[in-house]
Amino acid sequence: MKAERFEGLAQAYGGDVGRWPLEERDAAAAVMAADPAWTGAVLARASVLDDALDAYRAPEATGVLAEAIAASAPRAGPRHWRTWLAPAGLGAGLAAACAAGVIAGVQWGPTLVPVPAPAVAGEADDVATAADDEDFNLFVDEDA
Amino acid sequence: MGDPDDELLARVAAGDPSAVRALVARKLPRLLALAGRMLGDAAAAEDVAQEAFLRVWRQAPKWRSGAARFDTWLHRVALNLCYDRLRKRREVAYAEPPDQPDEAPGPERGLEAEDTGRRVAAALAALPDRQREAVVLCHYQELGNIEAARLMGVSVEALESLLGRARRALRARLADMRA
Repeated sequence: MKAERFEGLAQAYGGDVGRWPLEERDAAAAVMAADPAWTGAVLARASVLDDALDAYRAPEATGVLAEAIAASAPRAGPRHWRTWLAPAGLGAGLAAACAAGVIAGVQWGPTLVPVPAPAVAGEADDVATAADDEDFNLFVDEDA
Repeated sequence: MGDPDDELLARVAAGDPSAVRALVARKLPRLLALAGRMLGDAAAAEDVAQEAFLRVWRQAPKWRSGAARFDTWLHRVALNLCYDRLRKRREVAYAEPPDQPDEAPGPERGLEAEDTGRRVAAALAALPDRQREAVVLCHYQELGNIEAARLMGVSVEALESLLGRARRALRARLADMRA
């Protein structure tokens, strides 16, 4: 590695060689062994900026935020029941039974009150937004 | 090597509340750090984090590990959300120029980390967006050069160029701190 490259790496990645590209570290170590005074000065200069950057603390996650985010996740619901009932042929039967119950509730009297279906979290939203959301198309493997 | 988040994502997709909490605990701090430093605004960073997780919930059932790791995908989602906000901010600023942030050292400036942090935040905010992105990804998020370059859609050489220019500009702005 030439001295110019060593300086360029310090300029880009800072004074900690452990943060440099893996494939360059051995060559950098050889340069450091050959000229410890010069390389030490280069790294020390870069480290001053590293230290200053580290003084900028990131905002910390509060428990309230973490709870709010966790609460925004869909819960296991009927969609998952369908998944494990279907192989036994129970899914269709259950659906038919529910449909019959709904019809009965509507047509045959007030004693059979249809129970509102629990929200299937995000199902319609999945379909609508996945097609629209550019983020889902960033990597070809997602839809491959 | 498999994606370390695969197993957790599968449990999230199955609606496991403990997996949801574990994923939030694992990803939220880095997501907030990324958005906070890209935007320089803690409240906006929280909005970005919440929006990013909504996309995670939608994506989890469809997630298949492949060329992209989940963490890389999540970084890209968060960065896109940050860029949306930066764009809107610029549109507002164009219509109504804001006051310039005060980044000059005060008369009683000491060596306190808090003061240094504020000055670095201002210097980082003054960088062009792509230079700031490079510094945030490589220095703060500690991504490797190949992953950061891929995430930014540039070559490793271009990433190094962005980093070099960013660090020169930061040094110039923080010169009186001997940075």
